Amino acid sequence: MITEVGKDVVLPILKGFLLTGKRLFRDKSTVMYPEQKRESYPRTRWRHVLARYENGLEKCIGCSLCAGACPARCIYVEAAENTNEERYSPGERYAMRYEINMLRCIFCGFCQEACPTGAIVLRSDFELADYQREDFVYTKEMLLEPMPVQSER
Amino acid sequence: MPETRLLLKHSGDAAYRSIQGYMDKGGYAGLKKALSMDRQAVIDEIKASGLRGRGGAGFPTWIKWNGIEKEKTKPHYILCNADEGEPGTFKDKELMENTPHLMIEGMIIAGWATQGDVGYVYIRGEFVDCARAVKKAIDEAYEAGFLGKNIQGTGWNFDMYVHLGAGSYECGEESALMSSLMGERGMPRLKFPHAPLPTVAGLWDCPTVINNVETYACAPYILVNGGEWYATLGASTKNSRGTKIFSVSGHVNRPGNYEIEFGTTLAELLEMAGGMKGGTLKACVPGGSSVPILNAEQTMNAVIGYEEMVDAGSMVGSGGCMFLNEHTCIVTFIWRTALFYARESCGKCTPCREGTAWMEQILDRIRKGGGRMEDIELLKEICSQIDGRSFCGLGDAAAWPVAGALKVFPEEFEYFIRHGHSIVDGPEYRRMAPEPLTPAKV
Amino acid sequence: MAAAANEPQSVILTINDIEIEVPRGELIVESVKRIGLEIPIFCYHSRMKPVGMCRMCLVDVGFKQPDGSVRMMPKPQAGCTLPADNNMVVYTDTEKVRRDRKGVLEFLLINHPLDCPICDRGGECPLQNNTIFYGPSTTRYVEIKRHLPKAFPLSKYVTLDLERCIQCGRCVRFTEEISGDSQLAFRFRGAMMQPSTFELTDFESRFSGNVIEICPVGALTSAEYRFRARPWDLQTKPSICLECSNGCNTWFDYRVASLVRINGRTNEAVNEEWTCDKGKFGQNYLNSPDRLTEVFVRDGDKLIESNWATAFQQVSVAFQSAGSKCAALVGGKASNEDIFMLKRLFTEAFGSNNLDHRWTRCLPKSDALYRVATSIADFENEPVIFVFGNNIAEEQPILFLRIRKAWFRNDAKVIVACPEACEADTFAHTSLRYRPGTEAVLLGAIHRAATGAGGVDIAEASSITGVGEEAIRRAADAMKSGFALAASRSLLDLRNGEHVVGALSNLTIACNSSEKYNLFATSANEEGARQIEFMPSAEGKNTREILEACASGEMKALWLLECDPLSLSHDNELVTKALETVEFLVVQNHIKSECVQFASVLLPACAFSEKDGTYTNLERRVQRIKPIIAAKGSAKPAWKSFGELLLRMKGDPPPFHAHEVMQLIAASHQKFQSAIYENLEGEGVVIPANQSTEPQAVDVEYTAMEVPSNTP
Repeated sequence: MITEVGKDVVLPILKGFLLTGKRLFRDKSTVMYPEQKRESYPRTRWRHVLARYENGLEKCIGCSLCAGACPARCIYVEAAENTNEERYSPGERYAMRYEINMLRCIFCGFCQEACPTGAIVLRSDFELADYQREDFVYTKEMLLEPMPVQSER
Repeated sequence: MPETRLLLKHSGDAAYRSIQGYMDKGGYAGLKKALSMDRQAVIDEIKASGLRGRGGAGFPTWIKWNGIEKEKTKPHYILCNADEGEPGTFKDKELMENTPHLMIEGMIIAGWATQGDVGYVYIRGEFVDCARAVKKAIDEAYEAGFLGKNIQGTGWNFDMYVHLGAGSYECGEESALMSSLMGERGMPRLKFPHAPLPTVAGLWDCPTVINNVETYACAPYILVNGGEWYATLGASTKNSRGTKIFSVSGHVNRPGNYEIEFGTTLAELLEMAGGMKGGTLKACVPGGSSVPILNAEQTMNAVIGYEEMVDAGSMVGSGGCMFLNEHTCIVTFIWRTALFYARESCGKCTPCREGTAWMEQILDRIRKGGGRMEDIELLKEICSQIDGRSFCGLGDAAAWPVAGALKVFPEEFEYFIRHGHSIVDGPEYRRMAPEPLTPAKV
Repeated sequence: MAAAANEPQSVILTINDIEIEVPRGELIVESVKRIGLEIPIFCYHSRMKPVGMCRMCLVDVGFKQPDGSVRMMPKPQAGCTLPADNNMVVYTDTEKVRRDRKGVLEFLLINHPLDCPICDRGGECPLQNNTIFYGPSTTRYVEIKRHLPKAFPLSKYVTLDLERCIQCGRCVRFTEEISGDSQLAFRFRGAMMQPSTFELTDFESRFSGNVIEICPVGALTSAEYRFRARPWDLQTKPSICLECSNGCNTWFDYRVASLVRINGRTNEAVNEEWTCDKGKFGQNYLNSPDRLTEVFVRDGDKLIESNWATAFQQVSVAFQSAGSKCAALVGGKASNEDIFMLKRLFTEAFGSNNLDHRWTRCLPKSDALYRVATSIADFENEPVIFVFGNNIAEEQPILFLRIRKAWFRNDAKVIVACPEACEADTFAHTSLRYRPGTEAVLLGAIHRAATGAGGVDIAEASSITGVGEEAIRRAADAMKSGFALAASRSLLDLRNGEHVVGALSNLTIACNSSEKYNLFATSANEEGARQIEFMPSAEGKNTREILEACASGEMKALWLLECDPLSLSHDNELVTKALETVEFLVVQNHIKSECVQFASVLLPACAFSEKDGTYTNLERRVQRIKPIIAAKGSAKPAWKSFGELLLRMKGDPPPFHAHEVMQLIAASHQKFQSAIYENLEGEGVVIPANQSTEPQAVDVEYTAMEVPSNTP
């Protein structure tokens, strides 16, 4: 009886502890988020960014192809015409309004794929939590890359 | 065979330009004879002569004349295509300046045979002297009673006008010529089977006969001497009868207009023009810039005749025969031809509008030393995409010389692309070549 | 050709080994559609003459020989210009044909800028579509592309991008063949050929918007629509244009509940597929800040925002106390349902018969003078057309296109009588430019010339009207054996309008054409209001009498539905006096107008894009509109508010849907029975004309009227 208990109950418990005990001496695979952050993969697709050219002009031309490709219909683009006095992008057209509803976005990256100028890119910033629904509609100002430093025109 | 001067017999005689001098030499006898004949008999005479269009296509003339409806419901128009724009051709210029009455008489005969009402001579814009000469001749013909009301007491009225073009090669195409004459943009119109023939609905939708200057100029001789006599000229060929004026130019000692009987060889024509100048024969463009080019061997074996020339690899065309000597760069020559067609395309249809310009760009790049080996294949493809796909013949005419040269002289193109300069690069070539030239990498 | 008459009218040909029978002379590009195939095209347009410019439609063609073999033609043929013939053999999908199409597309694309992402046409572009289906995936073109001006403003409405142009000539042919103003032409030649106006002047046309729609690339784009949306951003619903009485069918493209653009919608019976610039570019008031969206009631000098309940309360008190001394006037943009319910409200709840929809100076009693007998489409086949009065291209642009088509296609003789130079003069058989005010005299002279009796002396008339005797006789000669009349009710604005219209009627009777007499309505639903009889009965007052009664203080309350009397009436002094004097004024409109300042109560109404209903165009065609975008603010369809007011005052159950109103209309007006909503899909329904007795000649004074020199 006792031997049976020892074989069926105690031994497996000890085996289990042995297994976890072994891990004590290995490297830890968890990180202390948020103080510590794990390196992301190069093709990670998280928060969108509207890219700029080196001279500071926006890459986005407001063509709405991203909105057309979006399966979640979460992108809204309103275009307008560049003038020589007020130039946002090279060429004739720029996005006057560019909004992404992050609650709807499924981060599929189709927008990035559809973009003819490489303007909309999904980068690695994944901390997108917020408190208000309204705050999840990212506007163009929020999405645009900061101006490159060297191009103080 | 020696030169057979028929139309050009009196071209050197200044008196022949006036109606008096012309009639002294037997002028207007053909018309008088025609007026005494039945209309259908005139057409039959033309049929017997085997006369074919001298403008380039070689369409039997009598079929056009016979196609005009016999029961007249609308005005009938007689058009003379004197828009001689083909590079290398200058026979109509000489005919109009030196023998204008010959053409006018031919037109009046055509008018009589087809119950014509009005004749128009559409003259190329640059040929102001021709227009003056023709206008003067028309005025004289009016005075002499060969034009106007009740011609020679037959009760038949026929008027004739000169219309000067505004400088477009395309307006030498018959339907574009009609558009231009009607005051529209000089663009070709739909042709059979897409639209009725000009003999049914031509100028202002009325029956219209349209022929080349030289074709009309043949008519008086046929009437005077009979169609059967005319058919004896050039009887050695398959189906070409009479004489043809060739405008010989290029590297020959005596360039000019030479009238020869069909059946003469190109070699004899070259002989007449005094042989090659500055080098041996390399190539020949026998019928105006739009026909395929022939190399020396083909040239020396070619017999002049509509079918015979096709067998030789080219065409009679409008008779603008260019002989090129050994110092000619075929690539540059073809580029210049392509440039002409790119500039002269009217823009109506896509293959011609875009294709001619593209070919010119590629040849220009090759000429400037930027050619790629795949350009040869590309040029051939473009030619096949234009040839037969364009709206009118201009597209075909632009594609043939390029395709022909690529077939006959492929090594010249390959050499130029590989080395960035011409195979014949040398002082003679560089003296002749059009500017700007790339510096030769010797 | 003369022989064609004797030959059978149909031919049998073989397309891709399928034998079909088609009418003689039908173009191959149309014949292939009968077996469900399609030939790609750019320059071909079924409403214009084929030209065969783009060479996209090349097909292999051969002919069956008597021995049964097929002889193919050496060159491919353009399917858009080739008429079908017996024994013809056509192949639309051989390796050779595919190669040719690829070649043509490669040529078209070498100089096309491929700026599709920013092109307004991108997404609905025939060049894109054909390239995807038939074109090469890459280019072999390594040279520098052609550079030409981009975004060149051809006019206020049309922007030209020359780089994108593929020189198909559709726009040029449109202005030559359809609109007839010949504003566009090709300049230069060869690869530099480009469409343009002469001397680069403004593209001035009443129909310039159509070239935007027929352009197969984004070369001609709308200046207003420029960069406002991509096709996949848009939602599209069918609609009707209310800018004039033709009732053109349109596509209403909107984004985020606001109008973005209007396109023509095909209705063979009305506008074919064309629109005029007024209809295409003139609808921006829908997005205007001047839209009336809330209820306002008067409080002393001010109008304060209020609600429907308060407004209804005030209205019902005021109108009930006014008794029969109240009146209603409607404008041209009220729907059949609005007009009918307003009429019911007045006759049943207020007991008043002072209703009118007519704003002309003369208001003839005779219904026969308002006849419309010929439909728009029928004009195409009329051999003689008499266009009388104002510039028809201005008043009825789409009818003008039909009349021009009658001349262009069928050689109709069009006699144009107009006091000023007008577009119709360009194709007129005879152009009669009379002095303003001498309409009746001119008609009298034509009458005399055509019939030899009646009317006025021709020589005398010639000196009064300023029209040559020869021209009058020429016109009368063409007209005397019958003609179709195209005149509009704006003639009734003339001081002797009744006589002028009477003279027209007499002339048609004299020329045995009284069944082709047409006096067309000028505003969108004027004909509808007439058919619903929104007019005073025997004891009621007409527009002028209503306004006079208001001005004198006799009329206590006035209701203005969708109208601005200050712009509609010829007598602004009277209108101002009337609006100032009348005690209680209800203004119900979709937009703020000038008369708002006089209103006691302001009621917001829905614009056409926001409501359900029907409109009756000048040929009595009832056409349906459906709500496309949500009503703004607290606006509601006018008929709904009348129903609610009826419920409030009489306890009648209100109709909940517009189709119930139409059933009520049909119940009280027999002729509307065919126009119930189930029947209104497609081309709409033409309701029968009023049964009238044989039109009788009327007494007319063929005299000129003094025109003060400052009258326009």
